[in-house]
Amino acid sequence: MRDIITPVASIAASLVIVGILLAAIGINPLEAYAVMFTRSFTSKFGLAELCVKTTPLILTGLAVAIPLRAGLWNIGAEGQLYMGAFAASVIALYSNLPSYAMLPAMFLTAAIFGMAWAAIPAVLKAKFDLNEILSTLLLNYVAIYWVEYMVYGPMRGKEVYNFPYTDLFPDAATLPRFFGTRFHLGFFIAIIIAIAINHIVNKTDFGFSLRVVGANPKAADYAGISRQKVIIYSMLLGGMFAGMAGMIEVSGIQLRLRPLISTGYGYAGIPVALLASGNPLLVMASAALFGFLYVGGSVLQTTYSVPVSIVYVFQSLIVLFIIAGQSLRRRE
Amino acid sequence: METLLEMRNIVKRFGNLVANDHIDFEVRRGEIHGLLGENGAGKTTLMNILYGIYQPDEGEIIFEGKKVRFRSPKDAISAGIGMVHQHFMLVPRMNVFQNIVLGYRTPHDPLINQKWVEERVEALSEKYGIDVALYEVIMNLSVGEEQRVEILKALFRDIKLLILDEPTAVLTPQEVDSLFYALKSMTKSGLTIIFITHKLKEALKVTDRITVLRRGKKVGTVKTSETNERELTRMMVGRDIVLDISKPPREFGKEVLRVEDLWVRDERGNYAVKGVNFSIREGEILGIAGVSGNGQRELEEAIAGLRKVEKGRIILDGQDITNKGVMERESIAYIPEDRIGVGLAPSLSVLENLMLKDFKRYRKRFSLDFDEMEKRAMELIEEFSVKTPSIHSAAGTLSGGNIQRLILARELSRNPKLIIASQPTRGLDVAGIDFVRRRLIDAAMKGAAVLLISEDLDEVFQLSDKIAVMYEGEIRGVMDRKRANYEKVGYLMAGGLEVTV
Repeated sequence: MRDIITPVASIAASLVIVGILLAAIGINPLEAYAVMFTRSFTSKFGLAELCVKTTPLILTGLAVAIPLRAGLWNIGAEGQLYMGAFAASVIALYSNLPSYAMLPAMFLTAAIFGMAWAAIPAVLKAKFDLNEILSTLLLNYVAIYWVEYMVYGPMRGKEVYNFPYTDLFPDAATLPRFFGTRFHLGFFIAIIIAIAINHIVNKTDFGFSLRVVGANPKAADYAGISRQKVIIYSMLLGGMFAGMAGMIEVSGIQLRLRPLISTGYGYAGIPVALLASGNPLLVMASAALFGFLYVGGSVLQTTYSVPVSIVYVFQSLIVLFIIAGQSLRRRE
Repeated sequence: METLLEMRNIVKRFGNLVANDHIDFEVRRGEIHGLLGENGAGKTTLMNILYGIYQPDEGEIIFEGKKVRFRSPKDAISAGIGMVHQHFMLVPRMNVFQNIVLGYRTPHDPLINQKWVEERVEALSEKYGIDVALYEVIMNLSVGEEQRVEILKALFRDIKLLILDEPTAVLTPQEVDSLFYALKSMTKSGLTIIFITHKLKEALKVTDRITVLRRGKKVGTVKTSETNERELTRMMVGRDIVLDISKPPREFGKEVLRVEDLWVRDERGNYAVKGVNFSIREGEILGIAGVSGNGQRELEEAIAGLRKVEKGRIILDGQDITNKGVMERESIAYIPEDRIGVGLAPSLSVLENLMLKDFKRYRKRFSLDFDEMEKRAMELIEEFSVKTPSIHSAAGTLSGGNIQRLILARELSRNPKLIIASQPTRGLDVAGIDFVRRRLIDAAMKGAAVLLISEDLDEVFQLSDKIAVMYEGEIRGVMDRKRANYEKVGYLMAGGLEVTV
């Protein structure tokens, strides 16, 4: 019961503060929230967009949540997502694979590149106890600028009028869409992964080890659980999911590689995971909430010309409140 | 003698728990007043209320004839009350001088009047016979010296009443004697002392009067000269429990553990274990006595596989396991000194903690068989009478005694050949102590070899077949229990050399 109080109170408090901000610039917050809600939930396109935004958030939420269970902070989901997107784009544009092999190959390489990007901080943490918050965060910039360099240079397309884009992917390299909207296959993939990972975390011996390392690393040593292995595997899993999110974004939405493919999905994975307190099933719910904020944010922008940054304010507030709530609980 | 302090009708609740239930407590000027009770009886809570750390829910405090209300320790200190906590509150990187003046305004504040402080400390040291090296850094002091600093720090603040919370827990028998001597001399110069303890012998030895608490209630106050161990025990636990345990004789089997010239480093890289040798046979208990911090922790961790061995060998059951992983030591049960920090994942459930070492055995294809694990966990909490609301409760919410039962359940149920038990009854109440000691004896009678590491001499003498003393990383004298006595062991614990005994 008390596990629910912190997230619910955090959401409520953030709604109130954002409401005050909206009121300060002359917008009735209740009306604004009502508009956000109806536009997102009452039309086919609103719902489709909600799913489209929720999909990468589920995956980046998992990318943060799994290492979090072992007590590790993966701030690098954003960079892992970019590396996944980059890898998938290379396959899509240059591999000439037969169409049936195209999507699976893109998935695989995106997963591997995401993992490889997470492997660097993981190994540094496991072998030298280097702070993973710093290393994952800094590697984000490397990945983001790497993609930027590629699309400005070697990978710039022939039919893009000098924009920093690659050419559009061939049809075989795009995820199937449904209902005449942007709603795509990636949504189901994310949900299947979340359910599978929930099983792994709660029902397998790996998940057990993960919990022990997260709860008390010394007790893990004491019980003969290899802390290094758990650190590396949990970070690799996280990197894999973030890499897949990158592939899904380029293959399902952008249909090409370009800068700013992610509007902070990797960072939003942090509040998503925190709000779900690391539980993979709840990650789906909190990802949906944040997806709604993204959609609602653009609604606010088109209706009231409120900058979409209000979404990031909301996100940050939620993180602050959750952390505050946790430290309050510790003091009791 | 006039009354210095009166606490009337004190009530303190924590949630549903009533830690202090209408307690009346009266202390007279110039006496040493023992506050006796088992763990959780409410002694420390009562003193924390007096010292301003907690506010009472009901009741009042009268100090020197005036009704007082302390909102923080600062109020208590300025009224003339000092407290030395069980865990010392010193800044390790600062020296004694700095710790003493910390938070104190010397004349010419904000400048520190060094000369004034030095003279004052010297006068106090002389008056009470407490010696300290004023410019030594706290980190380099022994526990006994740290305690003297704490006491001096309190005296420095012109106190009239000194509260000592379990002051002897970390001291050698010789240090205890010199502490008691200092306390007596303090009362001669008019100081009043409240002495919190759960050790009967000490209460009888040093106090003038004793107040006994049981489960948050006051049982009574007695004159020390008119009471005895038996009466106090009955007051403390509500029935006669005489901890009359001893290990029956048994033939020893083959050698289980042999440690040869073992050298182990501590966290700072210094040798904490220096060339230790011993062996233990089936059915035998080797008790290692010694004050904490003399290399016991490093020794136990090296044998349990948690710490690297620099030199020497550890042979378990004929196999060299030096520097092998924990997994190669399946047949070792380890009850660590730091139960909650090492032996437990407090935020995980009782079930998960019971399965901490064995969960991999319950693997069924891609999953763990949680039904089987629950069944086994139920058996274990039954067998070791672990009191818990459910096997899904967080292990950290259990009481100290039940946490130790949980750890025993996990470790002893794995049919170990070797049991390492470090301070296994520290902080437990009488019933818990009794349970743990009987279980260890049972295990030895069934053929396990037991390495018992303990500061509690009663425990070492009750359980051990052989007794050794660890001092500054060395084992001093392994002797048969029949040839050992308290004086000899206490002498070795304090750093005495065997040859001079």
